[in-house]
Amino acid sequence: MYEAVSAYPDGDSTVSRQARTAAHYGYDGVVVRSRTADYDPDETAERYGIDIVNGIEVRADNPQSAAGSVGNFRTECTVLLVRGGTDELNRYAVETDRVDVLTRPMADGGDVNHVLARAAKTHGVHIEFDFGAVLGHSGGKRVQALKNLRKLRELVEYYDTPYVVSANAASHFQLRAPRELCALGQQVGFSAEQIRTGLDAWSHIVAKNRGLADESFVAPGVKRGRYSGSEEHK
Amino acid sequence: MKHLPKHIRPRWRYLAVGIESTPKAEISRGDFQRELWYAAGNLLGDPGSADCDLTVYDFAFEHGFGETIVRVRRGETDAARAAVACINSVGEEPVGVFVRGISGTVRACEERYLGRRDRDFDQRHVEFADAQRPAFLHEDLAAISLPTGVVSATDIDFE
Repeated sequence: MYEAVSAYPDGDSTVSRQARTAAHYGYDGVVVRSRTADYDPDETAERYGIDIVNGIEVRADNPQSAAGSVGNFRTECTVLLVRGGTDELNRYAVETDRVDVLTRPMADGGDVNHVLARAAKTHGVHIEFDFGAVLGHSGGKRVQALKNLRKLRELVEYYDTPYVVSANAASHFQLRAPRELCALGQQVGFSAEQIRTGLDAWSHIVAKNRGLADESFVAPGVKRGRYSGSEEHK
Repeated sequence: MKHLPKHIRPRWRYLAVGIESTPKAEISRGDFQRELWYAAGNLLGDPGSADCDLTVYDFAFEHGFGETIVRVRRGETDAARAAVACINSVGEEPVGVFVRGISGTVRACEERYLGRRDRDFDQRHVEFADAQRPAFLHEDLAAISLPTGVVSATDIDFE
């Protein structure tokens, strides 16, 4: 199970501190959302025994500037995320094959409907369930967040849209263990299995993109080199 | 009032909870208990909160690290875990919480999941973000003061 986190200077904890906490909580890896974070993934991974994945979360005001950033950063990172929040941005993200994850689609008045849920499935874009607002707020803001999560969940279930789950932690204090997220998910209408699937989905995205970036990759299902007789070919 | 017969007394489970906050934070048992009740009340509602009957036992917190035992009615541990997860600050201080495990007795919980350690913090300047910054250090952890606030780091970030 992986988690996606923001790190200094976007957050209040450095990548290594987030990684240390995530490893302690039982995660297998962390996806770093912050493009400007300065870190050594190999040293951190070796010290704390956790996979550190280079991700970039594109934050743009409109689809045109998002498209420019996606073009620039796609080859620089393993996981490319686009922060949603407006209907135009959400639509752009779910209709772009090169985007891996649409984050915070319902924040700041954004919305997702059946058209976007179907498009996300067609283009293989994962939609994020953001538990940050549920964990970090109470009262009216949390009610809004829960209402949005429910709407998104119903669409994702009906259209079988790929999804990821995250606590959207900007500091290591906001990080929560997988079992805590499952327990919270169960209280707000998800099943524990759905939460685990959402956390596992990050690792599937990472494995897929690393495979695509591998030198031996030629086309889907075709690799350069000697036949190794691995399990999947038997 | 006379004790209830043993077979009709409520059954309890005990959650061992690890707490982490900033080095300067001062959190008492009462503060944590109040936040826990608020968190449970807000997430589970009054009936759910009453069902869980959350009580903080054996609270210890010093130098930004703490641990405690939270008593909960048997069968409500998932709800309690979710309520604990929703504690994000105590007073003004941000708080990270982690359920280390669940036991059937306080003693088993203490023996298995709680390890009281003295956590001494060292204070010195470290090189971070192109300048010498004051920091609290403990083992491989650091809380570095920047003009914008405190950044949590490890020694990888400045050595």
